[in-house]
Amino acid sequence: METEAVKLLAAGLCMGIGAVGSALGEGYVGGQALEAMARNPKLADKLFTNMIVAIALAESTAIYSLVISLIILFVF
Amino acid sequence: MSNIPEISIPAEKIGQIGPLVINNAMMAFIGTSLILIILAFLIRRNAGIKPTRLQVAFEVLVEEILGKMTLAFGSEKKARKFFPLIFTIFIFFLLANQFMLIPFVESIVTPDGISLFRLPASDYSLPIAYALFVIILSHVLAFSTAPIKHIGNFIKLKQFTKIRSIKEIPMAFIDFFLGILDLVGEFAKLISISTRLFGNMFAGGIVIAIISGLTVFTRYFVPIPFVVLGILSGLVQAFVFAMLSILYISSITNAVKPQEQAN
Repeated sequence: METEAVKLLAAGLCMGIGAVGSALGEGYVGGQALEAMARNPKLADKLFTNMIVAIALAESTAIYSLVISLIILFVF
Repeated sequence: MSNIPEISIPAEKIGQIGPLVINNAMMAFIGTSLILIILAFLIRRNAGIKPTRLQVAFEVLVEEILGKMTLAFGSEKKARKFFPLIFTIFIFFLLANQFMLIPFVESIVTPDGISLFRLPASDYSLPIAYALFVIILSHVLAFSTAPIKHIGNFIKLKQFTKIRSIKEIPMAFIDFFLGILDLVGEFAKLISISTRLFGNMFAGGIVIAIISGLTVFTRYFVPIPFVVLGILSGLVQAFVFAMLSILYISSITNAVKPQEQAN
Protein backbone atom coordinates (compact mmCIF):
# COMPACT_ATOMS: atom_id res chain seq x y z
CA MET A 1 0.00 0.00 0.00
CA GLU A 2 1.23 3.50 -0.66
CA THR A 3 2.39 5.75 2.14
CA GLU A 4 -0.45 8.23 1.78
CA ALA A 5 -3.11 5.59 2.26
CA VAL A 6 -1.39 4.05 5.27
CA LYS A 7 -0.95 7.50 6.79
CA LEU A 8 -4.66 8.24 6.61
CA LEU A 9 -5.56 4.79 7.88
CA ALA A 10 -3.17 5.14 10.82
CA ALA A 11 -4.51 8.55 11.81
CA GLY A 12 -8.10 7.36 11.73
CA LEU A 13 -7.44 4.17 13.67
CA CYS A 14 -5.34 5.98 16.27
CA MET A 15 -8.03 8.46 17.21
CA GLY A 16 -10.84 5.92 16.93
CA ILE A 17 -9.35 3.36 19.27
CA GLY A 18 -8.21 6.02 21.72
CA ALA A 19 -11.67 7.50 22.12
CA VAL A 20 -13.30 4.31 23.40
CA GLY A 21 -11.56 4.13 26.76
CA SER A 22 -12.00 7.82 27.45
CA ALA A 23 -15.74 7.73 26.76
CA LEU A 24 -16.22 4.76 29.09
CA GLY A 25 -14.22 6.39 31.86
CA GLU A 26 -15.98 9.73 31.64
CA GLY A 27 -19.39 8.11 31.60
CA TYR A 28 -18.53 6.19 34.76
CA VAL A 29 -17.30 9.33 36.53
CA GLY A 30 -20.43 11.24 35.52
CA GLY A 31 -22.70 8.46 36.68
CA GLN A 32 -21.08 8.17 40.09
CA ALA A 33 -21.14 11.95 40.50
CA LEU A 34 -24.84 12.11 39.69
CA GLU A 35 -25.61 9.36 42.15
CA ALA A 36 -23.66 11.12 44.87
CA MET A 37 -25.44 14.39 44.10
CA ALA A 38 -28.80 12.67 44.34
CA ARG A 39 -27.90 11.21 47.72
CA ASN A 40 -26.67 14.49 49.15
CA PRO A 41 -28.06 17.51 47.29
CA LYS A 42 -26.43 20.02 49.61
CA LEU A 43 -22.97 19.13 48.36
CA ALA A 44 -24.04 19.34 44.70
CA ASP A 45 -21.85 22.37 43.81
CA LYS A 46 -18.66 20.94 45.29
CA LEU A 47 -19.33 17.59 43.65
CA PHE A 48 -19.94 19.26 40.31
CA THR A 49 -16.65 21.15 40.39
CA ASN A 50 -14.68 18.03 41.29
CA MET A 51 -16.55 16.05 38.65
CA ILE A 52 -15.45 18.52 35.98
CA VAL A 53 -11.83 18.17 37.06
CA ALA A 54 -12.09 14.37 37.04
CA ILE A 55 -13.61 14.43 33.57
CA ALA A 56 -10.77 16.60 32.28
CA LEU A 57 -8.26 14.12 33.69
CA ALA A 58 -10.10 11.10 32.23
CA GLU A 59 -10.10 12.81 28.85
CA SER A 60 -6.29 13.00 28.84
CA THR A 61 -5.58 9.71 27.12
CA ALA A 62 -7.99 10.52 24.29
CA ILE A 63 -6.18 13.85 23.89
CA TYR A 64 -2.84 12.03 23.67
CA SER A 65 -4.09 9.86 20.82
CA LEU A 66 -5.56 12.98 19.17
CA VAL A 67 -2.15 14.65 19.26
CA ILE A 68 -0.46 11.54 17.84
CA SER A 69 -2.98 11.31 15.01
CA LEU A 70 -2.56 15.02 14.22
CA ILE A 71 1.21 14.56 14.14
CA ILE A 72 0.80 11.57 11.80
CA LEU A 73 -1.43 13.58 9.47
CA PHE A 74 0.41 16.88 9.33
CA VAL A 75 4.06 16.21 10.00
CA PHE A 76 4.80 12.95 8.20
CA MET B 1 -13.01 19.43 0.39
CA SER B 2 -13.43 23.17 -0.10
CA ASN B 3 -11.00 25.62 1.41
CA ILE B 4 -9.70 24.13 4.65
CA PRO B 5 -6.86 26.41 5.72
CA GLU B 6 -3.22 25.42 6.07
CA ILE B 7 -2.78 23.63 9.39
CA SER B 8 0.72 23.51 10.79
CA ILE B 9 1.65 22.13 14.17
CA PRO B 10 4.64 24.43 14.79
CA ALA B 11 3.73 28.09 15.06
CA GLU B 12 4.48 30.08 11.92
CA LYS B 13 7.43 32.45 11.82
CA ILE B 14 6.64 36.13 11.48
CA GLY B 15 9.93 37.89 11.98
CA GLN B 16 13.40 37.62 13.32
CA ILE B 17 15.46 39.68 15.74
CA GLY B 18 19.06 38.50 15.33
CA PRO B 19 19.06 34.77 16.11
CA LEU B 20 15.66 34.87 17.86
CA VAL B 21 12.73 33.73 15.71
CA ILE B 22 9.42 35.44 16.50
CA ASN B 23 6.33 33.39 15.74
CA ASN B 24 2.66 34.19 16.07
CA ALA B 25 2.19 32.30 19.33
CA MET B 26 4.79 34.62 20.85
CA MET B 27 2.79 37.66 19.72
CA ALA B 28 -0.30 36.36 21.49
CA PHE B 29 1.84 35.61 24.55
CA ILE B 30 3.04 39.23 24.62
CA GLY B 31 -0.54 40.43 24.16
CA THR B 32 -1.78 38.33 27.08
CA SER B 33 1.04 39.51 29.33
CA LEU B 34 0.21 43.14 28.52
CA ILE B 35 -3.46 42.52 29.37
CA LEU B 36 -2.46 40.93 32.69
CA ILE B 37 -0.16 43.83 33.59
CA ILE B 38 -2.84 46.40 32.78
CA LEU B 39 -5.42 44.46 34.81
CA ALA B 40 -3.08 44.24 37.78
CA PHE B 41 -2.39 47.96 37.60
CA LEU B 42 -6.09 48.80 37.43
CA ILE B 43 -6.97 46.63 40.43
CA ARG B 44 -4.10 47.88 42.55
CA ARG B 45 -4.86 51.52 41.87
CA ASN B 46 -8.32 51.40 43.47
CA ALA B 47 -7.62 48.73 46.05
CA GLY B 48 -8.97 49.35 49.51
CA ILE B 49 -11.12 48.02 52.29
CA LYS B 50 -14.24 48.74 50.24
CA PRO B 51 -13.51 46.64 47.18
CA THR B 52 -14.39 47.40 43.60
CA ARG B 53 -16.10 44.67 41.60
CA LEU B 54 -12.93 43.63 39.78
CA GLN B 55 -11.15 43.32 43.11
CA VAL B 56 -13.92 41.10 44.46
CA ALA B 57 -13.66 38.81 41.44
CA PHE B 58 -9.92 38.41 41.97
CA GLU B 59 -10.35 37.87 45.69
CA VAL B 60 -12.70 34.97 44.92
CA LEU B 61 -10.07 33.38 42.70
CA VAL B 62 -7.30 33.99 45.23
CA GLU B 63 -9.30 32.47 48.07
CA GLU B 64 -10.17 29.36 46.00
CA ILE B 65 -6.62 28.64 44.94
CA LEU B 66 -5.13 29.45 48.34
CA GLY B 67 -7.64 27.10 50.00
CA LYS B 68 -6.71 24.23 47.74
CA MET B 69 -3.01 24.92 48.18
CA THR B 70 -3.34 24.94 51.98
CA LEU B 71 -4.98 21.53 51.76
CA ALA B 72 -2.17 20.17 49.62
CA PHE B 73 0.81 21.71 51.42
CA GLY B 74 -0.48 21.35 54.96
CA SER B 75 0.13 24.83 56.30
CA GLU B 76 -0.79 28.24 54.95
CA LYS B 77 2.75 29.52 55.40
CA LYS B 78 4.13 26.92 53.02
CA ALA B 79 1.24 27.49 50.63
CA ARG B 80 1.99 31.22 50.46
CA LYS B 81 5.56 30.51 49.46
CA PHE B 82 4.43 28.90 46.21
CA PHE B 83 1.31 30.98 45.76
CA PRO B 84 2.64 33.63 43.32
CA LEU B 85 3.92 30.98 40.89
CA ILE B 86 0.77 28.89 40.86
CA PHE B 87 -1.60 31.85 40.69
CA THR B 88 0.34 33.40 37.82
CA ILE B 89 0.14 30.13 35.92
CA PHE B 90 -3.59 29.97 36.64
CA ILE B 91 -4.62 33.43 35.51
CA PHE B 92 -2.16 33.41 32.63
CA PHE B 93 -3.81 30.32 31.20
CA LEU B 94 -7.29 31.61 32.05
CA LEU B 95 -6.68 34.60 29.80
CA ALA B 96 -4.38 33.02 27.21
CA ASN B 97 -6.76 30.18 26.34
CA GLN B 98 -9.46 32.69 25.44
CA PHE B 99 -7.22 35.00 23.44
CA MET B 100 -8.88 34.25 20.10
CA LEU B 101 -12.21 35.56 21.37
CA ILE B 102 -10.99 39.15 21.22
CA PRO B 103 -12.71 40.66 18.17
CA PHE B 104 -10.72 41.13 14.97
CA VAL B 105 -7.63 39.42 16.35
CA GLU B 106 -7.94 36.60 13.84
CA SER B 107 -8.11 39.02 10.89
CA ILE B 108 -4.76 40.77 11.43
CA VAL B 109 -2.61 39.19 8.75
CA THR B 110 1.01 39.67 7.69
CA PRO B 111 1.70 40.38 4.01
CA ASP B 112 2.40 36.66 3.48
CA GLY B 113 -1.10 35.70 4.57
CA ILE B 114 -0.12 34.31 7.98
CA SER B 115 -2.35 35.46 10.79
CA LEU B 116 -0.50 37.53 13.35
CA PHE B 117 -1.91 35.89 16.49
CA ARG B 118 -2.38 32.28 17.51
CA LEU B 119 -3.26 30.74 20.85
CA PRO B 120 -0.06 30.68 22.97
CA ALA B 121 -0.76 27.17 24.20
CA SER B 122 -1.23 25.86 20.67
CA ASP B 123 2.53 25.97 20.08
CA TYR B 124 3.91 22.84 21.72
CA SER B 125 6.86 24.73 23.22
CA LEU B 126 4.80 26.77 25.69
CA PRO B 127 3.15 23.95 27.68
CA ILE B 128 6.43 22.04 27.70
CA ALA B 129 8.23 25.11 29.03
CA TYR B 130 5.75 25.60 31.87
CA ALA B 131 5.71 21.90 32.72
CA LEU B 132 9.52 21.66 32.69
CA PHE B 133 9.73 24.66 34.97
CA VAL B 134 7.30 23.26 37.53
CA ILE B 135 8.77 19.76 37.59
CA ILE B 136 12.41 20.86 37.66
CA LEU B 137 11.56 23.39 40.39
CA SER B 138 10.04 20.69 42.58
CA HIS B 139 13.03 18.40 42.14
CA VAL B 140 15.62 21.12 42.74
CA LEU B 141 13.82 22.26 45.90
CA ALA B 142 13.53 18.73 47.26
CA PHE B 143 17.16 18.00 46.38
CA SER B 144 18.42 21.14 48.09
CA THR B 145 16.43 20.38 51.24
CA ALA B 146 17.54 16.78 51.71
CA PRO B 147 19.65 15.27 48.90
CA ILE B 148 20.11 11.71 50.19
CA LYS B 149 16.47 11.33 51.17
CA HIS B 150 15.26 12.68 47.85
CA ILE B 151 17.38 10.29 45.80
CA GLY B 152 16.42 7.53 48.19
CA ASN B 153 12.79 8.03 47.30
CA PHE B 154 13.54 6.94 43.75
CA ILE B 155 16.42 4.50 44.09
CA LYS B 156 15.25 2.50 47.06
CA LEU B 157 18.23 0.73 48.56
CA LYS B 158 17.25 0.98 52.20
CA GLN B 159 15.27 -2.22 52.29
CA PHE B 160 18.30 -4.24 51.18
CA THR B 161 19.94 -3.47 54.52
CA LYS B 162 16.95 -4.79 56.42
CA ILE B 163 16.72 -8.27 54.94
CA ARG B 164 16.61 -10.90 57.61
CA SER B 165 15.53 -14.01 55.77
CA ILE B 166 15.81 -15.32 52.24
CA LYS B 167 12.07 -14.82 51.72
CA GLU B 168 12.30 -11.03 51.82
CA ILE B 169 14.69 -10.73 48.90
CA PRO B 170 12.02 -10.78 46.13
CA MET B 171 10.04 -8.06 47.96
CA ALA B 172 13.19 -5.94 48.17
CA PHE B 173 13.76 -6.30 44.46
CA ILE B 174 10.14 -5.40 43.73
CA ASP B 175 10.50 -2.25 45.85
CA PHE B 176 13.64 -1.31 43.94
CA PHE B 177 11.86 -1.82 40.63
CA LEU B 178 8.94 0.32 41.77
CA GLY B 179 11.37 3.09 42.63
CA ILE B 180 12.80 3.02 39.13
CA LEU B 181 9.25 3.05 37.78
CA ASP B 182 8.63 6.23 39.80
CA LEU B 183 11.62 7.77 38.07
CA VAL B 184 10.14 6.96 34.66
CA GLY B 185 6.88 8.38 35.96
CA GLU B 186 8.50 11.78 36.32
CA PHE B 187 9.05 11.92 32.57
CA ALA B 188 5.51 10.67 32.05
CA LYS B 189 4.28 13.55 34.21
CA LEU B 190 6.08 16.03 31.99
CA ILE B 191 4.67 14.62 28.76
CA SER B 192 1.16 14.14 30.11
CA ILE B 193 0.67 17.57 31.60
CA SER B 194 2.00 19.39 28.55
CA THR B 195 0.27 17.23 25.93
CA ARG B 196 -3.08 17.56 27.67
CA LEU B 197 -2.98 21.33 27.44
CA PHE B 198 -1.54 21.41 23.93
CA GLY B 199 -4.02 18.86 22.59
CA ASN B 200 -7.05 20.65 23.96
CA MET B 201 -6.04 24.07 22.67
CA PHE B 202 -4.71 23.00 19.28
CA ALA B 203 -7.58 20.66 18.49
CA GLY B 204 -10.13 23.30 19.48
CA GLY B 205 -8.78 25.69 16.86
CA ILE B 206 -8.56 22.98 14.21
CA VAL B 207 -12.13 21.78 14.69
CA ILE B 208 -13.47 25.30 14.20
CA ALA B 209 -11.28 25.82 11.13
CA ILE B 210 -12.43 22.56 9.56
CA ILE B 211 -16.12 23.15 10.28
CA SER B 212 -15.94 26.63 8.82
CA GLY B 213 -14.16 25.33 5.75
CA LEU B 214 -16.54 22.48 4.90
CA THR B 215 -19.16 24.30 2.83
CA VAL B 216 -20.26 27.90 2.62
CA PHE B 217 -23.38 27.19 4.67
CA THR B 218 -21.47 25.90 7.68
CA ARG B 219 -19.58 29.17 8.17
CA TYR B 220 -22.42 30.89 9.97
CA PHE B 221 -24.22 29.46 13.03
CA VAL B 222 -22.79 25.95 12.87
CA PRO B 223 -19.43 26.70 14.55
CA ILE B 224 -21.17 28.16 17.62
CA PRO B 225 -21.35 24.92 19.70
CA PHE B 226 -17.73 24.19 18.92
CA VAL B 227 -16.65 27.68 20.00
CA VAL B 228 -18.54 27.22 23.29
CA LEU B 229 -16.83 23.85 23.74
CA GLY B 230 -13.49 25.56 23.14
CA ILE B 231 -14.20 28.21 25.76
CA LEU B 232 -15.21 25.60 28.34
CA SER B 233 -12.23 23.41 27.69
CA GLY B 234 -9.92 26.44 27.95
CA LEU B 235 -11.25 27.28 31.43
CA VAL B 236 -11.12 23.69 32.62
CA GLN B 237 -7.62 23.07 31.27
CA ALA B 238 -6.27 26.21 32.99
CA PHE B 239 -7.67 24.96 36.29
CA VAL B 240 -6.43 21.40 35.77
CA PHE B 241 -2.90 22.59 34.91
CA ALA B 242 -2.75 24.71 38.07
CA MET B 243 -4.12 21.90 40.25
CA LEU B 244 -1.67 19.35 38.86
CA SER B 245 1.25 21.76 39.38
CA ILE B 246 0.18 22.13 43.02
CA LEU B 247 -0.04 18.35 43.33
CA TYR B 248 3.39 17.71 41.83
CA ILE B 249 5.20 20.36 43.83
CA SER B 250 3.52 19.40 47.11
CA SER B 251 3.98 15.65 46.70
CA ILE B 252 7.71 15.91 46.01
CA THR B 253 8.49 18.53 48.64
CA ASN B 254 6.41 16.74 51.27
CA ALA B 255 8.25 13.48 50.68
CA VAL B 256 11.51 14.99 51.94
CA LYS B 257 10.06 16.64 54.99
CA PRO B 258 11.78 15.64 58.23
CA GLN B 259 9.72 13.47 60.57
CA GLU B 260 6.82 15.32 62.22
CA GLN B 261 8.12 18.05 64.48
CA ALA B 262 5.83 19.31 67.21
CA ASN B 263 4.24 22.37 65.51
